[in-house]
Amino acid sequence: MSDIDEGLRAELQRQGIWVTSMQELYNWGRKNSIWPLQFGLACCAIEMIATAASRYDIARFGGEIFRPSPRQADLMIVAGTVTKKMAPQIVRLYNQMPDPKYVISMGACAISGGPFKQGYNVLKGIDRYIPVDVYIPGCPPRPEALLHAFMELQRKIDEQKLTGAGKAAHLDRTHPSEFPVPAFGAHDLEPAANSAVFQPPEIQR
Amino acid sequence: MIPDPYLVIVIFVGVALVFPIFPLILAWMWRRFFQPPKPGAEKNATYECGVESLGEAQIQFRSQYYLYAIIFLIFDVEAVFLVPFAVAFTGLPIGAFVSILVFLLLLLEGLVWAWSKGCLDWAR
Amino acid sequence: MQSLEQIKTRIESAVPGAKIDIVPNASPSQQLSFKIDNEHAREVAKFLRDDSALRFDFCSNVTGVDWLDRTVTKKVKVRKVVEGEEKEVEETQQEKIPGYLEAVYHLYSIEHKHGPIIIRMRTADRGEGVRAPSVTPIWRSAEFQEREIFDLYGIRFEGHPDLRRILMWDEFKDYPMRKDYREPDDYEYEPTPHDDVLEKAKQHYAPRPQLDGAENITAQP
Repeated sequence: MSDIDEGLRAELQRQGIWVTSMQELYNWGRKNSIWPLQFGLACCAIEMIATAASRYDIARFGGEIFRPSPRQADLMIVAGTVTKKMAPQIVRLYNQMPDPKYVISMGACAISGGPFKQGYNVLKGIDRYIPVDVYIPGCPPRPEALLHAFMELQRKIDEQKLTGAGKAAHLDRTHPSEFPVPAFGAHDLEPAANSAVFQPPEIQR
Repeated sequence: MIPDPYLVIVIFVGVALVFPIFPLILAWMWRRFFQPPKPGAEKNATYECGVESLGEAQIQFRSQYYLYAIIFLIFDVEAVFLVPFAVAFTGLPIGAFVSILVFLLLLLEGLVWAWSKGCLDWAR
Repeated sequence: MQSLEQIKTRIESAVPGAKIDIVPNASPSQQLSFKIDNEHAREVAKFLRDDSALRFDFCSNVTGVDWLDRTVTKKVKVRKVVEGEEKEVEETQQEKIPGYLEAVYHLYSIEHKHGPIIIRMRTADRGEGVRAPSVTPIWRSAEFQEREIFDLYGIRFEGHPDLRRILMWDEFKDYPMRKDYREPDDYEYEPTPHDDVLEKAKQHYAPRPQLDGAENITAQP
């Protein structure tokens, strides 16, 4: 379905014939119309707003349509500190987004808790509950970094397969689309991490 | 031969039907052959900014809103009748003048009643 | 503004029975404060707000302090019989001060443009459900801040109109700003730990394999 000889394709293109495949067309359309979910959690949201505004202009990458409803969004930019009180709402919003959906974890707080790591009220990384596609370090990351993450996500979408063993998650019947929402416990969120999602690599020491 | 002038409308209706239906059919075929639907309790739940929704969307309004509506009617209908009356005031016979006064009196009575009931007190 | 001593005598004459102490402050700011007993706190607050010369009509800040149990070493001069004759001898005494929780209010007067004056109220101990009077009926701006102190320190303000947790969720049981609070141990994955985080991450480290021969290898000269 997508096995075109690259040389043949280049030759055809030189002659004015453009050949594509279903998969390429599909991914091309998706990667250039990523609609983010419009919400911000902390100071990273200011950088996200700057990225959406005219100077950095995320519209150049097809991501300018920030949707106020998860029903219409493809991308969740977790921009800022996720407090433990906010985490269930974030997971619920992620659950309510239709497939295919992607997550960018923006900034030190959304990755690991950042400077508030040792506090009592900050979640130590949103990847404890939902799968994250691209992480951006920084405190806060500059708009260029968010654009870079956006381009990385586009590259990732472009490589997703329509069929076969390694096909995209949203096309895979066995891959879940919802993840359990943590409950407010007496001392912490319960559970403290979703072990089906949060599988940190073994640290070599 | 002159084409029927309604032919244009028929073409328009045809385009208006095909334009939305064709993408819907495409989307349906996409779902049928590639993307398995993944509904779920959370996903189909009422959207409420991530917070679990409480109660019903259909609620009963307080009867005070009904009173507000009546008071609005008093001032609004009054204005609708008074403006043409004021424009044609000089050329009206005495009977018309008396009847508009009776009309005003009736509305005024309603206003006085609403006032005495305390409907004009905004916050209680 | 009058001096603290003057204000203190005026309060004591206006609110009979009120016990007011001036709390010393050894820090460079030298900012003194009143400690007010809980029984008369509401009347004292009302006097501070309504008195025409003081008119502290703005409560700008409310905060909590957690004082643990502590022992203070003091040098006291005691008269004692030493070697047959009475002498004044310096002696060190250990005084045990039980812990308590404290609510601190900073008051300003917008009308007279003076302030701040600081008042403190202390709870009996550091136990569960300790109480202090609320001044929210006097200063409305204290409402959320007293809720915050209740949330983070666990002081129950008596007379508060709506005392619920404000930052943490309702099901939460701990009081995180108390000094003996232990936060939940979420340190499973720490790629770059240091200091406190290193200590906490070590509890999640897998035990190193015992003798594998590597410990016998030494550098050859």
